[in-house]
Amino acid sequence: MIVLLEFDDLHYTFPGSDTPALRGASLRVERQRRMVILGRNGAGKSTLLLHGNGLLRPIAGQVRLNGKPLDYSRRGLVDIRRQVGVVFQNPDDQLFSASVLQDISFGPLNLELDIAEVQRRVAEAADLCGVTDLLDRPTHALSVGQKTRVALAGVLAMMPDVLLVDEATSGLDPWMRQQVFDIFNRMVERGATVVLATHDLEAAQRWADIVVVMDRGRVVAAAPPGDVFVDPDLRRLIGPVDQKGR
Amino acid sequence: MRVIDRYAFGNALRQIDPAQKGGLALLAIVLCLVLDRPAVGILTLVWMLMVTVRWAGVPLQVFGRVLLTEGVFLSLSVVGVALSIAGEAPEASVFAWNTGALWISATPESLTLATHVLTRSLGCVAALNFLILTTPLVDLLELLRRMRVPDGLIDVMALTYRAIFVLLDSLERMMTAQDARLGYSTARTTMRSAALLGSQLFLDAYRRSQRIQTALESRGFDGSLRVLPLDYRRSPRIWQVGVVLAGSLIMAGMAG
Repeated sequence: MIVLLEFDDLHYTFPGSDTPALRGASLRVERQRRMVILGRNGAGKSTLLLHGNGLLRPIAGQVRLNGKPLDYSRRGLVDIRRQVGVVFQNPDDQLFSASVLQDISFGPLNLELDIAEVQRRVAEAADLCGVTDLLDRPTHALSVGQKTRVALAGVLAMMPDVLLVDEATSGLDPWMRQQVFDIFNRMVERGATVVLATHDLEAAQRWADIVVVMDRGRVVAAAPPGDVFVDPDLRRLIGPVDQKGR
Repeated sequence: MRVIDRYAFGNALRQIDPAQKGGLALLAIVLCLVLDRPAVGILTLVWMLMVTVRWAGVPLQVFGRVLLTEGVFLSLSVVGVALSIAGEAPEASVFAWNTGALWISATPESLTLATHVLTRSLGCVAALNFLILTTPLVDLLELLRRMRVPDGLIDVMALTYRAIFVLLDSLERMMTAQDARLGYSTARTTMRSAALLGSQLFLDAYRRSQRIQTALESRGFDGSLRVLPLDYRRSPRIWQVGVVLAGSLIMAGMAG
């Protein structure tokens, strides 16, 4: 199996914080996978994702993309961000433009593609995310579900091989959530890998190929959901276990 | 503001090139200023009202409400032009009122001047209302970009505009949360809640700016917010309207 992204023994402490956010986190992200990262608040899920496209630099350890250590130079970062996209928890933090079309076009334009190619990609990403009708609408007039899909389109237009998603499905109703998972599935069918950090156990059980469990800054397991959910120790790290032992 | 924004994005002239709409508004403003007759100001007002309401399909009430707000400010400032206050009885006044020590009066000249200023400003303001009610800020920024206004300035305006709506949402959420805990039940708590809200909103904006920065970086931000230009439709009719408008204003200017 082709390994796209590799986190190797990462250590990270946020400036001004006493407790490390990552203490020796390692994870391999293979091609064409549906991965879900579970773990309590503060387990290091978001921090790990932010290392994936060079937004954070580990204090110790290494991130490798296609086998090569990340190059944090300006040129190198453009290359990383072409291949690894991040979708943030709150779409309002990501959508900076009042025009949906212009917001989606921002990423591909930064890849220094020509205008025709950017237009093609914006149209394709909008189509994939079902926001073609919204292109000439103002961002602030959209619903949360629509904003989430526009934010996704803005990242997909860069055509990343790996999509790192931080909690973007929380706060959506089941229908809107399903639409987002449909988009993820289409991405995976095209050969991309989607890594979703979430508290949504149902998504982990039903949708994921690989469930990653994080605890206090480390990855403690990365295995198919069938294996993770039956292990009593892992099960306890994921969430409260009710009487029926689900 | 939300009302203006809604019609700016949803009116019948939305797809028309902002340069054309801006051109029409500019034409009206320039004529209104140059011809400087009360009749021209009133006529400009009527024209802009017609174009905005009949052509762009913005409800009359919306145009009226925006104009009323501006009208109140203009009328108040014109009062200072029309009236004068003096220590002794004025000569040749249309109206004079003695308040004991002081005389408040208006002369024919001051009234004429006030009428001129008021009608002229109303005409110009109506032309601007036409522009803002038919053209969203996104399109105005596009126009500025084409006019080679520096990118940095446009980026700041674009981010500010977007941030207004995000902050308004935060503001509403925080106010509801305070209200739910009786934050606005008495004058005293209202003062306290409002002060807290102000400082929290500031912190909120600061944190949000950092998150936006991170999100922009993850999409390859390198210092300028490059986006695709928007497509517009050119309307031949708007030039016809412009010609008729100019003609009628000039005629009104000559006659008046």
